[in-house]
Amino acid sequence: MDAWVRGWAAALGLAVAACSNNPYPDADTSRKILYTNYNEAPRTLDPATAYTTSAHAITGNVYDTLLEYHYLKRPYELIPGLAEEVPRAEPQPDGSVVYRFRLRPDLLYQDDPAFALGGEGRSTRQIVAADVAHELMRIGDPAVNSPVIEPFSNIVGFRAFSQSLAERREADPAFAAKPPVEQYAGVGGIEGVRVRGERELEIVLANPYPQILYWFAMPFTTPVPWEAVAYYDGEEGRPHFSDRPVASGPFVLEEYHKQARMVLEANPNWYGVRHPEWQAPGATYPSEGAEGDAEAGLLDPALMGRPLPFLERIEFRREKESIPAFQKFLQGYYDASGIIRESFDTVIREDRLSPEMEELGVRLEKSVIPAVYYLGFNMDDPVVGRAGGERARKLRQAMSLAIDAEEWLRLFTNGRGVPAQSLLPPGLYGYDADYENPYRRVDLERARALLAEAGFPDGIDPQTGKPLQLTFDTPDTSAQGKLRYSFYVNAWRKLGIDVRLEATNYNQFQEKVRNGAYQIFPWGWVADYPDPENFYFLLWSEMARTRNQGPNTANFSDPGFDERFLAMKARENDPERLRLIQEMRAILEEERPWIELFHPEDYALFHGWLRGVKPAGISNPTSKYRDLAPALRAEERAAWNQPVIWPAFALAFLAVAVALPGVVTFFRERQ
Amino acid sequence: MEPHVISNVVVVLVLLAGFGIAAFVRRNRMWNDALRELWRRRPVAIVVVAIYAGVALLDSAAWMGGVESGEDVVAAHEAKSVLDRLFLGTQEKSYSAPFADAEFYGGADLAHPGSHPFGTDILGRDVLYLTLKGARVALLIGGLTSLIAIPLALLLGVSAGYFGGRLDDAVFFLISTLASIPGLLLLIALIMVMGQSTFSVCIALGVTSWVGLSRVTRGETLKLRELDYVKAARALGVSQLRILVRHILPNLMHLVIITFVLMFSGLVLSEAILSWLGIGVDGSWGQMIDQARDELTRSPIIWWNILASGTALFGLLLAVNFVGDALRDILDPRTLRDQP
Repeated sequence: MDAWVRGWAAALGLAVAACSNNPYPDADTSRKILYTNYNEAPRTLDPATAYTTSAHAITGNVYDTLLEYHYLKRPYELIPGLAEEVPRAEPQPDGSVVYRFRLRPDLLYQDDPAFALGGEGRSTRQIVAADVAHELMRIGDPAVNSPVIEPFSNIVGFRAFSQSLAERREADPAFAAKPPVEQYAGVGGIEGVRVRGERELEIVLANPYPQILYWFAMPFTTPVPWEAVAYYDGEEGRPHFSDRPVASGPFVLEEYHKQARMVLEANPNWYGVRHPEWQAPGATYPSEGAEGDAEAGLLDPALMGRPLPFLERIEFRREKESIPAFQKFLQGYYDASGIIRESFDTVIREDRLSPEMEELGVRLEKSVIPAVYYLGFNMDDPVVGRAGGERARKLRQAMSLAIDAEEWLRLFTNGRGVPAQSLLPPGLYGYDADYENPYRRVDLERARALLAEAGFPDGIDPQTGKPLQLTFDTPDTSAQGKLRYSFYVNAWRKLGIDVRLEATNYNQFQEKVRNGAYQIFPWGWVADYPDPENFYFLLWSEMARTRNQGPNTANFSDPGFDERFLAMKARENDPERLRLIQEMRAILEEERPWIELFHPEDYALFHGWLRGVKPAGISNPTSKYRDLAPALRAEERAAWNQPVIWPAFALAFLAVAVALPGVVTFFRERQ
Repeated sequence: MEPHVISNVVVVLVLLAGFGIAAFVRRNRMWNDALRELWRRRPVAIVVVAIYAGVALLDSAAWMGGVESGEDVVAAHEAKSVLDRLFLGTQEKSYSAPFADAEFYGGADLAHPGSHPFGTDILGRDVLYLTLKGARVALLIGGLTSLIAIPLALLLGVSAGYFGGRLDDAVFFLISTLASIPGLLLLIALIMVMGQSTFSVCIALGVTSWVGLSRVTRGETLKLRELDYVKAARALGVSQLRILVRHILPNLMHLVIITFVLMFSGLVLSEAILSWLGIGVDGSWGQMIDQARDELTRSPIIWWNILASGTALFGLLLAVNFVGDALRDILDPRTLRDQP
């Protein structure tokens, strides 16, 4: 009896002492492992097709690109990655443009059994220019179904390659049964992608398209070894290539359980690890940055000039619910977190971190997403559009003057966003922080005057004698959605314009847009790459929605604008380009096809032990620049997760209290 | 015709119908006794329902002009109801708590401090005003849907029960088919097909809710047509139509009234569910509750919106159900026997 009691007491004591909520093995505590979480596993990791942020979190880190973005500098600047330098455009007499990429020497893929296909016993091989050409052909392969065919169609012979590939496959079943890489060779490859030896690659564009270089900073154009595509075919227990990346980049996908966790390990074959003496810009922490980076601790001498990557491992854990994920962040088990809506007001006070958060040593990083949200007018509409001439223009100007985007942001997004003055978000070439759009502030007096000049005094339509009636088509029928859009309607009502909210579901909205049956609509655009062309093309007449099914939903068409747009598109960043951008801005300022609303802002939280964190905005690999202090993290975790023992004792006491009368009665009865 | 004119005509018709029914009840001994009994049993519930109806009528009688144009210039050109006029110029900029002097976030001064007993919503509208406006929507949904569903149910149920044979088979087949389709799915499908408006929501609700009443009236008619006085009338050569109007329908009236009252609360509740799915009627309590979904997860919590709309919905449904239960006790002969 005595021994029995002592045994239980010892067991209980042990349980209390070992009590911990640490979800990770103790041995990992002192290692440089970054913990983060995800909600949904990416559908594919094939670099030619992966186009979501969640997929780029993996592909961006395991696939290295020829070029990349400078980590700190803004506006965004391209630096060489696998390539030795950023190539210059070489215009040819026939109007085409050539870009020459030269790969670094001695680049290796990760160790992988797939390479045995190229030679007995091989576990890796050199990264060669033909691998980049291979990936470009994969983008052009209709069977791969890449979402980014359009920009690469500027390459000479790109469309022809896709077409002849499809035709040969259709005509010849024996051809279609061959491995893809042999099929590509069979149709002669892409004319404008020339491989010169092991390390040189020439890209020939049929016409000037300087933005092509941005596409070489995205995982779409990473070198892909043909062995990996051939070996990982989903047969005989081998995974499919879309689930099994073969890395050229700083990290290797070590574990991939979509439903539970994804683990990246530092890649020992990466050039940054094998050749730190090169001081390659893509493998070294930068020593210069943008304004404010020094104050933010990003130009830390302990980091500057050091070889990358700093982290040993990155663990992505699946969290289906946002509240537990945020709790684990607060306990120190995740190193970074977004701000969930439920606790925004406890985390942020008056646009700053709350005192509770500051006490935890949490840092807040705000970053403007390179995107723009706007209200557009359908320029094909007889009342608000082109046909209305000067009157319609003044109407649009008046309506623009009534919208207070800052107040909208305050009400509906907790102030997360920058009110837009033009369509270009901060951080892009051509963005001008000092620019003030005369029609993008609230001035009801001026708006009323303009409205009267447009022939609608106090908003009264002279034809009906009643307030001018317009419709505002929105793709959101939820009650919250209606509130959001009612804000704009209420603003226009102050001018005396009676705007009717027509809320439909997204499909019906799309159909209205296809049929051109809309007047005013809300829309947004997130940049693919940080170039003004990627925003101004939204108003290019060739992109008109109703006529050409393009993204120019406003159906804006202005010859002067188009001319400048095409000139701007073909130029690299120089004063002339800046001038063109400003002239286009002036046209839009006056014409008002859009009411620019805001550029959304992302708020991210980081623990104090993370260093070298700068939010990217544009989806690009940044994990290699991050560093963390495991000792500090272990200390803080221990302090924040003191086990609360008293409920265990209280429970034990309660159990005894309940059992005691029974035991007493039992013994009494026996006597 | 302008919507507010239709609304005014409806108000007049409702009032006339009310007076007509009152005059009828005064002369009819049975109904007079029944209503007296109802009043004796549930005075509070009846007063509550009457208040809701009164608010709805106040919000339905509207006319143009006489509106001081404040911030909202368009409002001066729109017909405004009595209720609208009472709450004119109570607009704030954003959330404020009940009886607060300052905005909930940011703490800016209110334009009308301390004058919002239920606070204001995200767009600064007075929540009491929005809640009162919800009464009209709720009664409109209940009333209009009943006007669609009850005649349909009576027509099909009575003719099936009275004439029998093939017609009965056909009607019962229709009833079984409708009853076997999940109600909510059918509702959503109908609204998607007809487009989203108050009227289509009412039609959809009407189409899905007549089945129960139809089944009851069919059964009752089957019984009634075999009674001696109906047989006698038939033997005397009275026309079918006359028998239906004279002998069958009046004897179904108590069922209709009980079902109407009990169905009413179900309809208002169904609309709240539809609002939750984003296909409800603008300005209903369901929509207010839906809007408040986000507000409950905010911290500090915005509670007055959902409290006001939820209480208003709850109050109406509770009162209507009390009245309905009492009516059933009084009108249904089977329960009547148990009374002391």
